[in-house]
Amino acid sequence: MFILNPQSGIPIYRQILDQVRRMVASGQLPPGATLPSVRDLAIRHTINPMTISRAYTMLEAEGLLERNRGKPMTVASQNRNHSQLPKRLQQIGPLVEQTVVAAKQLQLSEAELVKAVRREWEQNDE
Amino acid sequence: MNSATVAASNLSKSFGAKQVLHDMTFGISPGDVVGVLGKNGAGKTTLLELILGFTAPTSGAISVFGHDSHTLPGSIKARVGFVPQQDELLDQLSVADQLRVIASFYPGWDSELIARLCGEWGVNLLARIKSMSVGERQKLSILLAFGHKPDLLILDEPVASLDPIARRQFLEQLLAISSDAQRAIVFSSHIVSDIERLANRIWILKDGRLDWQGDLDSLKESIVRLHIRGGGSELPALIVPGVLTMRREGAFATAVVRDWTQESHEALENQASVQIDVEPLGLEEIFLELHR
Repeated sequence: MFILNPQSGIPIYRQILDQVRRMVASGQLPPGATLPSVRDLAIRHTINPMTISRAYTMLEAEGLLERNRGKPMTVASQNRNHSQLPKRLQQIGPLVEQTVVAAKQLQLSEAELVKAVRREWEQNDE
Repeated sequence: MNSATVAASNLSKSFGAKQVLHDMTFGISPGDVVGVLGKNGAGKTTLLELILGFTAPTSGAISVFGHDSHTLPGSIKARVGFVPQQDELLDQLSVADQLRVIASFYPGWDSELIARLCGEWGVNLLARIKSMSVGERQKLSILLAFGHKPDLLILDEPVASLDPIARRQFLEQLLAISSDAQRAIVFSSHIVSDIERLANRIWILKDGRLDWQGDLDSLKESIVRLHIRGGGSELPALIVPGVLTMRREGAFATAVVRDWTQESHEALENQASVQIDVEPLGLEEIFLELHR
């Protein structure tokens, strides 16, 4: 369910935070969907369980996830499928910024970058 | 009494005139997995031996489960497991006999767990220890430290001779131990990627001092590489807080800093109207940067 890279400089709890937020925002994780237990994730990915608990606790505090006694955590119900467009745009903001910086370093024009994005978009649709 | 597994304050250790550890203060709580990193000779083994009570500190205090570590009663020692760098196996025994000898010391020995792990790890019970490879001996030493289900498990470079598959099996077992029953693990290794998976807390030892201690997550957020770009052809003079290394090239500079925060980001950008990209660093990079 998650793509986690322990060797990355981005702490694992952040990787989980970002991925859950994105999946909930896009509706890929609908309200009521269950999340893997901390232990399962820790053993499956061979990563420390505390960093996973930390992510789950933060997502719970944000109201994105709900903790259920003796049961797996679920996506909170008040999250109506898709969150607002500005919020979703805000989430992809840092990735867009990185791409634009890289494009400028490569001295690509705006049109060339947009073209490359469109090509990638269409390939991804197939 | 506190509930800390280990508590140490102002710990120092000298051998003769040579001071090996300087003024270390730290704690270990139940459920912690502490990864200990340091160059050869940084003091890792001495530190682990102080926790185990094999040697007394020259000054300062250290307690394990609330007892002075150098005079631990047997009942507390039975809650500690240790995998030494150099194994202490009895060459003339078979694996099964060696397991039996150690098991006889501990009333709570979990022979079911050990039998299962012997199967999973491919440890042959009938093998003579003297004919075993270094890797096989290491697996057996680890099993001997697991069997009594210690509340504090200390491992001094336990995986140096294990192949990647055996290492992964070993990590999975340690994670199962730490997530099932709030036990504490202290683990020194030069294999940084293993520590990066296993540990929630990191100690970086440098010249006998704890150069950094804290959560692995915080470490990765605190030590980062900055890519700084100025507007003109020459980067203005900058005071970069917490800088470890810095290289300037015309309008650009890269700097590795510690104690980085969002506030320091904004302060630096405002200082000389430069643009900053933050590159997060993996643990190995961080370790290397702290030793430049």
